[in-house]
Order: sequence, then structure tokens, then C-alpha cells
Amino acid sequence: MSARRKLISNALKERFRELCDKRIQNLGEMAFGSEVMPFAERVRKLLSNVSPGQLVESMGGMKMPRFWQEAESNHANNFLATLFAIALAEPLSLRPAEHPPVEPFIQLLAASRTDPEQRIQLLMERYSCPLNFALPEEEEVREFILTRLMANDRARIEKDSIEAVNSDDLMVKLSLVAIHAAHVPDLRFLDALNYYDELLPVGWQPRGKQGVLLAAYFALYARALATWIQEDN
Amino acid sequence: MRTGILANSLPAALKIYEELKTVPDCDTFILLCPMPDESRSRVLLKHLARIFLRRGGLKSLRLVFSRKVFLFQKPLDHPKTLARLKALKLDVGLHKAGVIYRETTINCFRLGILNPHIGILPAYRGRNVMEWALLEGEPVGITVFFIDSGIDTGERIILSEEIDISHCRSIEEAKQSLFNLDAVYFRRALELLRSENFEHKLNDRRQGRRYYVMSRLFQGVVEKLIEANR
Repeated sequence: MSARRKLISNALKERFRELCDKRIQNLGEMAFGSEVMPFAERVRKLLSNVSPGQLVESMGGMKMPRFWQEAESNHANNFLATLFAIALAEPLSLRPAEHPPVEPFIQLLAASRTDPEQRIQLLMERYSCPLNFALPEEEEVREFILTRLMANDRARIEKDSIEAVNSDDLMVKLSLVAIHAAHVPDLRFLDALNYYDELLPVGWQPRGKQGVLLAAYFALYARALATWIQEDN
Repeated sequence: MRTGILANSLPAALKIYEELKTVPDCDTFILLCPMPDESRSRVLLKHLARIFLRRGGLKSLRLVFSRKVFLFQKPLDHPKTLARLKALKLDVGLHKAGVIYRETTINCFRLGILNPHIGILPAYRGRNVMEWALLEGEPVGITVFFIDSGIDTGERIILSEEIDISHCRSIEEAKQSLFNLDAVYFRRALELLRSENFEHKLNDRRQGRRYYVMSRLFQGVVEKLIEANR
């Protein structure tokens, strides 16, 4: 391994330990509502004292997709259900489906620039199977989301505070980016997660309707870090 | 060729002005622009203070009296500023101001506004590109190109070169060493523009990526890489 890869890998190991030993432990002190609290608790337990190798071994539900898929069930909120299953590395029941066109979706996303609720809805509907976000055909959407996170949202948070952005919107975007970050050599996606890890206040709990997305995001970020670390070993 | 240095202070523009003296038939002006949210009186006071207190004060005064310096009190996209810029009939603008240019401002210059970007285009657009190039094991350098209203997406590249920064001890020092080359690279770009049969290189967005502010974690890695490469 080159000296450069070694330095990157060492830094990611350090971040992985901080995330699992400190940040994730805060989940135990947060209240997310009785329905989703068990999920947050499972994430906390799953990531406590885990090594990158152990986490990668358990990643059956997060294999790189090759075609568009959708959940077998017609659950009203497939996005959350599938995302939580991926976060916990649970088996997924997916079936192949027709890949919806990208261009009209980009236009809808752009039109929802000032309406985060509409954007959340759009993202949750299209990525009812969040793994689809990592498909090569979704590149334009990923660049759009990365720009929103690292230019628009970041600037608002740094200028005002974390309360200046819609936390559900932020967590949906970060979770999708985390799924992609685990699969690609493009370090920009992983570093967006690194950046937000440094930006989000310690112990911050999202106030949105889907506050528990924070737990999913932590789990997916840990998985992305673990994948990178393991590939270098 | 009539050239305008767009800067926020006289000392910042002076170095470029001096460098361009060697370019034949180049008539250079200094266009002092206000930073966003600066009041008119603050702008005037700031420039006067800089003239008298900083090095190069006499040179600055001489330039002011030779009508080579224009002080804009309104933002660059204000109709009054745009009218003054158009009246100057400038061929090229040189970016040294901490502002983002709108299309209307860029169009006031016959050929456009040149930017000395501290990264290799088309590969590295956006923020912290020197750090990103180092992190990815790619060359560091400077690209002088004509800007458009996007983020490093202007299509005409005049000059792009790799630069050795192995003498630098930190990110800060490496960046400063690249920024300090702006005057030299502006001169070389203007010389190229004046040369016969010059053809610009295309800044093809598809061949590169937009980069964003780098995390402290990866900045730490880059600091170590710089130290290791010395």
C-alpha cells in the first residue's frame, strides 16, 4: 500500500473509533419515539466495540447494486424500512424494476430548491430502495445532492446554526451519500460525511419528524468508513 | 491591450501592475471594488489608510494621480459600476477581488476576466483543489482561464502548468506559494493572448469534478503528505 493510502486509512480508522466509541453512544441518551427507539438502540449495540472488519463482514444488505430494484412489500414508507434494514445489515427482499428516467427527476429536485419537505418526499419516493442511489446512471442526482450538502446546507449551517436547515432533509441526503460513499473510490462522498461529522454539534438530536434517521446515518457512515479501511488492509 | 486588475486593495493590485509593465502594448488599470456590505465612507477610508500606511504608498499615490486607478463605490454588478466599466473599453479583466462575478460584469470586458486558479483544470474545479489533488496523488498546479458565472466552468483555458511545492512545509505555505505566482501567470497568460495563432484549451467539465471544502480529518492527512514529500 502506498504511503498516501496508508495515511488516509489511518485517519479513517481514527474517525471510525471516535464514531463508534463516542458519538454513537449518545444515541442511548436520545428520545426518538417508542416505535423507532428499538432501532436506535440496535444501532448503538451493533456499533459498540465493533471492528471495521467485523462490520464489513456483516454487510450482506449493502452490496453494490447493478440494476434498479424495489422492495417486495408495498409498505407506505419503503425508504425508511429499507434504509433501516441496510443500516442493520438485515437481509433485503428486493425485486428488479424499471429504472425511472433521471432528467425529469433532476428538474423536480431543482424546482424544490426552496421546499425541503417536497424534496424529502421526492427523494424518499425515488429511492424507496436507497441502494439505487449508488447506480452509475444516478450520477447527476448524486452531484446535485452533494452540492446541496456541501455548498448550500453547509453555508447556511456555518452562517447561522444547524437549526437553519431542515433536519429530515439533511439526514435523508447524508444517508444516501453514505450508501454511495461505501462503494466508490471517489473520496468526495466519504469526506462530505467526515465534514458533517465535524460540523454537527456533539449530542445534537434532529428535531424533525424522522429524527431517528440520525441513527441510520451513523450506522451507514460507520459502514462506509469500515469498507474503506478494510479495502486497504 | 487594455487590461483592468479587479482588486479590493491597491497593494494587492500593485504587484500585478508592476509585473505587467513588461508586456508590450499593455495599458493596465486598477479597478478597486468594494467587498460586499462595505459602506462608501469605509471604502474610501480603507484605501486612503492603505496608501499611507503600507509599503508602496508612494507608488500608489503616483498611480492615483496618473488616472490609472478607479475606485468603485457600488458593487460590480450595480448599473453605475457597469456603465463605468463599459466606458473604460477594457479587453481583459484580471481577477484579484474577493467577489463572485455575474455575467453582466464579465461582459464588460471584450475577452473576459482571467482567473489564476490554484488547481489543474479541467480535473479540479471548486474549493480546496490543491489539497484534493495532493490527497488523490495528482499533480498540483495553476490554470489561468476565462471565468463564466459557474464554479470554475469557464471554457477557455489559456495556460495550465504543474508546479512543484515540495519546498513547502504546510497547506498554508503551499497555497500562499501558489497564490504568490498570480502576477507572473497573469503576465504569461496575457503574453500568450497577444501571440499569433494562439488557441485556448477547452475546459471540458466532463473530464473533471467539482470539489468541496475538505474536512479537518483529510486536511490532517494532506499536512502529513506535504511533510512527507519535503
